[in-house]
Amino acid sequence: MDETVAEYIRRTVLKIPRDEIKTMLQKWGFLSEAQLQTINFHQIKENISQDVVQLCEENCADIKQAAVLDIIYNHIYSNKRMWSVYQMKKAGDETEVFDITSFKKKFKRRLRSALKNVTVNFREYEDNAIWIRIAWGTPYTKPNQYKASYVVYHSQTPYVFISASVLRSNLPLLCQALVVASNYQDIREIELRSHSLNSLKDIVFKRYSQNFQTYYPRPLQERNVAPENADVRIIHENKNEKERIQRVTLEVFGDGPQPKLEFAQYKLETMFKSDPKMDVLDNKEPFRCLVKFSSPHLLESLKSLAPAGMADAPLSPLLTCIPQKARNYFKIKEKKGLFPGSFVSP
Amino acid sequence: GVFAHLAALEVQAHQAALKQEELEQQEEKVARLKERVQELRLQRDELRAKVDLQQNRRLGKGGAMSDPVQPSAQAVLERKIKSLKSMLQIFYLTGISGKLTKQGVCFCISTAYEGTYLDSYHVDLVLKPEVRILRHSIPIFIPLEQISKKYLQRDIRRFMSVLFDHLNAYAGRRYQADQLQEHFSDHIEGTLQRNSLCNLLVFKYDVSKNSKTFPFQARLIYGDLCLSLPTEVLVSCTPDAPVSLAEVAAAHSDLFRSMALHKAFRSFSSTEHIMI
Repeated sequence: MDETVAEYIRRTVLKIPRDEIKTMLQKWGFLSEAQLQTINFHQIKENISQDVVQLCEENCADIKQAAVLDIIYNHIYSNKRMWSVYQMKKAGDETEVFDITSFKKKFKRRLRSALKNVTVNFREYEDNAIWIRIAWGTPYTKPNQYKASYVVYHSQTPYVFISASVLRSNLPLLCQALVVASNYQDIREIELRSHSLNSLKDIVFKRYSQNFQTYYPRPLQERNVAPENADVRIIHENKNEKERIQRVTLEVFGDGPQPKLEFAQYKLETMFKSDPKMDVLDNKEPFRCLVKFSSPHLLESLKSLAPAGMADAPLSPLLTCIPQKARNYFKIKEKKGLFPGSFVSP
Repeated sequence: GVFAHLAALEVQAHQAALKQEELEQQEEKVARLKERVQELRLQRDELRAKVDLQQNRRLGKGGAMSDPVQPSAQAVLERKIKSLKSMLQIFYLTGISGKLTKQGVCFCISTAYEGTYLDSYHVDLVLKPEVRILRHSIPIFIPLEQISKKYLQRDIRRFMSVLFDHLNAYAGRRYQADQLQEHFSDHIEGTLQRNSLCNLLVFKYDVSKNSKTFPFQARLIYGDLCLSLPTEVLVSCTPDAPVSLAEVAAAHSDLFRSMALHKAFRSFSSTEHIMI
């Protein structure tokens, strides 16, 4: 077995939390159950990884198998990477009969025709997600397995999720290969980024909770409110207002879990409006400023602002439009007209 | 001089602005109070109605026996609500139901396949100034943009009908594929190869369970997205399969073309000893 492959497998196993190693190796399926039984998974990780490499030697693992283990790791720990979203455009209207075998063939062919030194691996998952791992080399060097790019694509959709490596110079080639393989014409990055791949999918695939008005009654259990305080002496002031806030929040955010985003960024290019007496940059040039909201779970925290009394309901549409517009980077320019306000550029 | 004049003008403008603001505030206040009056009037009417109802009840209980044939207003209302609710439930069960909203209408499309209810999807439409989709929960691989470009402006009913056909057919195709994977995985080699729209299925199979070889190779293409049966079926035998199986393959091909996939499997896996 190649030295580099051995080292790569060793390092990959070291990344996995000790309790998960066995399950992941089982998912990988390269080592037999009997072989796995011979490993003591309670020893320190250094030793576990040595044992695994030893067994891989016996089975003559090559880079292809090692890459599959890496995809499995990244699929489970996809939130360790930052994912960007790309949108593809098609000209024609023909019904797409997507065949994965032909997709893989076209993709590999396109990449290899431009760059001989690439490692390309695919893995399909039950939710129709196609994971592609690409390790890039140069015309003179072998592919760098430690800086691979990962692409997630669902067939017959115009969205691609990419976690590119540091080597962004390979991005155009990657985009080209995707477009060719999926029968689209054009691809561009959209202003949506997050560590949570599933949340990005929820947003662009419209799988997040939207509160649609329907006649179909929701099961009554969901509407159980916490039992009212039995003590009649306690009165809730502003009960109407509280209920209004709840209602408005529900209308805007829906009643399900929100997609997980870590930030929203607003680039302002609006005029600074001040009291004429203060004479500060009044209406001379746009006041450039960047406002960034960060949170472990931005949309959930926005949802709880009004009920917690920290903001008025309804919240500014600039904040609540994030899932609908599928973006978390905004540019706000001056609205031209009688009423200087702001408008969000597309 | 000029400066003094400008300063005087500035002061005038400022004062005029202040007066204007005061006026606006006054008007706002009046409007708010008027609203409040309306609200209170409404509340008063509600309370009045409640009191009347209470009094009627008390009279009915304490006084002469209430006529059992004459239904109370409350009972009539409740009956009306119940019949409305069941009407709406019926519409919901037929697949397309809608509710008027402030700006337009929100449709709910419920899909089903041969008696099993599957997922529901929503389309929220705005009607003015022109019909457009405000938001929706239609899966991204359904060609919604195409369908709306063709029908939305001209004929909302047609648009809903075409969209319904697409969604229902997709739900049906997916249901069949899921059923096949779930109940006949021991007849299939590996997992079923499919795509998001479930309009191409490729798999190797055998009529008997748990066999080591899979002599049949099937490729089902659903060319019409509004149908849940394939438009093209190719069942071939692997090169090393016995020649006699070629007839069976042809028979299966017809079967897949005419009935639900999982039902087709059920039919030949239970009668495997009978050559069709």
